[in-house]
This record gives sequence, C-alpha cells and structure tokens, in this order.
Amino acid sequence: MRLLLWWGGRALSSAVTLLGISVLIFAALRLMPGGFAETILGPFATPEQKAELAARYGLDQSVLAQYGHWLAAFGTGDFGTSMISRQPVAAELAARLPVTAQLTLLAVAAAVLAGVPLGVVTAVRARPGGGGGAGRLLSGLGVSVPEFALGSLVVFVVSRYGLQTTGYLLPAAVLSIFAISATARTTRDAVLGVLVEQHITAAVARGETPWFIIRHHILRNAAGPVLTLTATITAYLLGGALIVEYLFNLPGIGSYVVQAVGRRDYAVVQAGVLLAAAVFIVMNVLVDLLVGLVDPRLGRRA
Amino acid sequence: MKARMDKAPMDKARMDKALLEVDGLVVDYGRARALDGADLRVAAGQTVGVVGESGSGKSTLGAAIGRLLPRQARVEAGEVRVAGEPVLDLRPAELRRLRRNRLGFVFQDPIASLDPTMRVGRQLRLVLGREGRGDVAGQLARVGLDAARVASAYPHQLSGGMAQRVAIALAMAASPELLVADEPTASLDAQVREKVLDVVFTLAAGAGTSIVWLSHDLPAVARRCDRVAVMYGGRVVESGPAAAVLGAPAHPYTAALAGSAPAAAAPGVRLRPVPGRPPVLTGPSPGCAFEPRCPFAEERCAVERPAPVRVGEQDALCHRAADLVGELEVVA
Repeated sequence: MRLLLWWGGRALSSAVTLLGISVLIFAALRLMPGGFAETILGPFATPEQKAELAARYGLDQSVLAQYGHWLAAFGTGDFGTSMISRQPVAAELAARLPVTAQLTLLAVAAAVLAGVPLGVVTAVRARPGGGGGAGRLLSGLGVSVPEFALGSLVVFVVSRYGLQTTGYLLPAAVLSIFAISATARTTRDAVLGVLVEQHITAAVARGETPWFIIRHHILRNAAGPVLTLTATITAYLLGGALIVEYLFNLPGIGSYVVQAVGRRDYAVVQAGVLLAAAVFIVMNVLVDLLVGLVDPRLGRRA
Repeated sequence: MKARMDKAPMDKARMDKALLEVDGLVVDYGRARALDGADLRVAAGQTVGVVGESGSGKSTLGAAIGRLLPRQARVEAGEVRVAGEPVLDLRPAELRRLRRNRLGFVFQDPIASLDPTMRVGRQLRLVLGREGRGDVAGQLARVGLDAARVASAYPHQLSGGMAQRVAIALAMAASPELLVADEPTASLDAQVREKVLDVVFTLAAGAGTSIVWLSHDLPAVARRCDRVAVMYGGRVVESGPAAAVLGAPAHPYTAALAGSAPAAAAPGVRLRPVPGRPPVLTGPSPGCAFEPRCPFAEERCAVERPAPVRVGEQDALCHRAADLVGELEVVA
C-alpha cells in the first residue's frame, strides 16, 4: 500500500515536471526571434505569403491556443508533424534513436567497465596523504575538458591523416573520456568512504582476502553514488549528445533537434526536449529504486 | 622469548604457555604517541581485562594485536607475538591465516561492525562457508538469538544487543585462540550488557579461547576476569591477578582509578575522581607519565622511566612500588 502510494506520488510529480518543461520549451521557442515562415521563405517573402504559411500550420492562432492544441494531441500520443519533412515527429525521432542509443551504450559500457575498476583500484591502493596524484590529475582533466574541444581535436587529427571518421567508435571514445573519468572519481570517493567503515575492519580482522572484501562488502556499499552518476550520464547521452553527434555528423537525436531549432521546426524541438526530460525523470526513478534495493537502509525510507 | 624466560625464571610455567606477548610496543599517530612501550602477556585460556581512562592506549593495543591499526598509525618499536608468530612482521597471506585461525575481534559499535547491505544470515553463511562448520541457525542459537527472526534481518533492524551477539557469533565461528573485545558493551543498555558479556565469556570458556577485554568497567572486569592490566600514558602500568590488582593496588594510578569507580564508593560517599588530566604524549615520556598527578611522586619519577617491579602477585611500573606496599588503599 505504502509502495503504491510512493509510486503514485512519483508518477504525479513526474507528470507535473514534464508539463512545466513543456510550457517552458513552448514559450522559449515562440520567444525566439525569427519565425518558421521567415526561415522557410527567406528574407524576400511578402507578408501575404508569410500569413498563408502561418495559417496552414496554425501559427496565426494565439500561443495559448497553439499550446492547448499541441497538448491535446500529445495526450493521444501524437507528437505532431515536422513542418520541414512533413513526416510524423515520432517516426523521425524513432529513426534516429538507434544511433543515439548505440552511442550511449558504448560510452556507458566504457564508463562502467573501465571507470568502476579504476576507481576501486585507486581507492584500495590509496595511501594516507597520498591523494592519488597522477590519477586525480588525469580524471580531473577528463572531467573538465569540454567535449567540443576534445571532439574537434579528434576530428581534426583523424581527418588530417585521412582516416575514417564515420562509425561510432570515435565519438563514443570522446564521450567515454568524460564518462570514465567521472565514474572513476565517484567510485574512488565512494569506496574510500566505505573503507573506513567498521564492518570493513571487522572483515579484515576475520582474515578475509582483499578480493573477497571488495566483492562482498565494498562494491555493494559503494554502489549508491556510482549508480546515480551512471544513470545521469545515461540520461544525458540518451537525450542526445548534441555536440559530439554534431561534430561527427552522426544522425542521432541530438543533431536532429539542434537542426530543428535552427529551422524553427517547433514540433520536433518540443518532442525532442520533452523526450530528453522524460528519459531523465524515468532514469531518476529507476535509480532510486535500484539504490533502495542495493542498500536496504535507504529502501526502508520510501 | 628465551631472554624473557631468563629474566623471570620463576615464572617459567606462565611463560611457556604465553599465547599473546606484547613487548615494548610503541605506536605513533602522526606526532601523537598512543603507545609508549606497552607490555602485555596472556596465557592460553586466560581472561584479561585491560582498563584505563580514554586515551590511555587501550584501543591501540587491541588493534595492534591483530595488526589492525589505522593507516596513519606507525609502529616505532616493539613486538607482538601470537602463539609465537611475529604479528607485525608476517607476510599478508600469513597474517590472514593467523587472523582466521587464531584471532577474533569484537568492536564497540555492534551495528556498524556488520555489513549494512547484507542480511545477517548471509553474513554468517559467508564466514561459516569458509570454515565449513556449523549452520547459521546453530550459530545464532549459540549466542542466544532466535534464528528464524534474526537471520533474515538487516543489521539496522536489530537492537544493539542483538547486533553484538551476531558480531560475537561471527568472531567466534572459527573458535579462535584469542578474542580481543574492544569495549563490546560500551554502547549497550545496562541490562543488556551483562547478558552479552555472559555470552562472550561462556562461548570463550567452551572453546578454550583467551579473552583480552578492553573496558572502562572496573567492577565488571573484577567479577569476570582472571587478570587485569591497567594502562596509563600508553603503557601497562600494573598487571596481575584481578583480585590482587584491584583489591591491593601496587601502582598509585591503579589505586586512584579503583577509587574513582562508582561501585567502589559506599552510598552517600563522594566519588574521588583521579585529580589532574591524562597525559597527551608527543614522544617518549621522560619519566613516569603519572608523575604530575601522583601524590607519592619523587624527584626521579619525572626524569627516569620506571622499570617493572614485582610487588606481591603483580608487576608494576613504579619507582616507589616497593615503598608503597600497604600505603595504597581503595576506598570501599
């Protein structure tokens, strides 16, 4: 019963959040200078032509009426139609999802497979006062170098030597640098926090091997922050790794939405942003659930 | 060990059976000195209460027995031997084997010493599986717990007393030769304390396990332990049979400590706290660390480190121990 209430509350607050985001994005798009008609018809179009185009897409109605219309359609699962391609937005996004999903999967897999072990090893081998100099510097660099800088560099170097820039490996590698660094740092801090707990000393006192202690007592206890971070990275990338998709010319959701903003393709931007927000919210709920399962002390609170 | 036997030939019987030997152990945390040449000797099957004020070095001594000192601790000098094995010099694999087979530890905060993410039954199975003996239910019953209820619980769902019983079951699963209990009842309610101590001492007696019990609780130590070691300023200043040490102290500090214990005072009589403050050492104490607080101090007490003196049945680190026989009294 309590669980049901909890889920109901989460669903309701998620819906309210999404509604708020839809209002924001709707308003922001309409506030942008230059409308759809100007973008499509060019600078020499007559007012009559613009009015006709606006009427065709209902852009002559009040913003409130437009929003109500859009929301009603959205409620029935109709994400609208791209004004550029005249295709349903849902189909257009679905066609681009595999690209973004593969990119996300590669980067997150690298983060978990490389970042978690790196974090555990550097934490377990850390010496007091040592601070883990080199590793900290490297991961700090990885977290703070912006994707556009690293991405541009990679694109430049690779194309300079006439290598292939197509495929997912390079863009995924660029994204991985950040994902691995962030995961390794978070894991290291979480493990260092667990290492000083009394039950680890108790396990050491029972003569358990380091590997046994890591496997049975450290990983699960340190999982909370790492799971949260991984989910955030996943949601962030699933929403479209804008810059990297754009740089490497990958036809994913990110580059599609960026393009749509430029063309004032309202329905596409609205659906794309809302999708990214929904992914974030769903990931957050999932993580809360997972963290509760991993650490029973937190699960009880819900 | 040979050298020791030469020094005290009449103690040959006791020395032969020494299970734990701590010799001149010096441990620093950064600039602070926690142990300043501590000696402790425990024979097989003995129960020893280590008492002293907070900061006297009890916990450091207990941790050093299993080489469980925190990372910032440095051993400057001294030796720890368990069943003749040099604990501080063992290779990691040998150290693990020693901890598994010969040592058991119980800590002050029972709930924190269990893995919070694992059900009690699973934690026990992890340890028992390795030992290949006993079932979870049997182990829990041994420490007086209802297996059906406790095995499926998480540590945070247990009371402190129940959690400490689980921790005792974990520590005693391998029937160690020596159990080090660092104030195992300090965080428990008064009524639960005695029951938990009953469990510890009954299990240990059954398995022939020696106990080193680090405690504040002088009367409880007097009731339960064969021997007492009194710590002050990082040294064991007096040790011997419990009744002798606490009944007729040979060291002025023991007398002061015994006088300050609540049970020592008759109803309506004021407790006598030990005057002054415990020392904070940053290096070797030049003389006797108790000298500034000692009513019997002489000139040499401040400048000359006292050597062990045999007084009656106990060993004391006091220049004046021989003169003070019969002078020290415990208000009772």
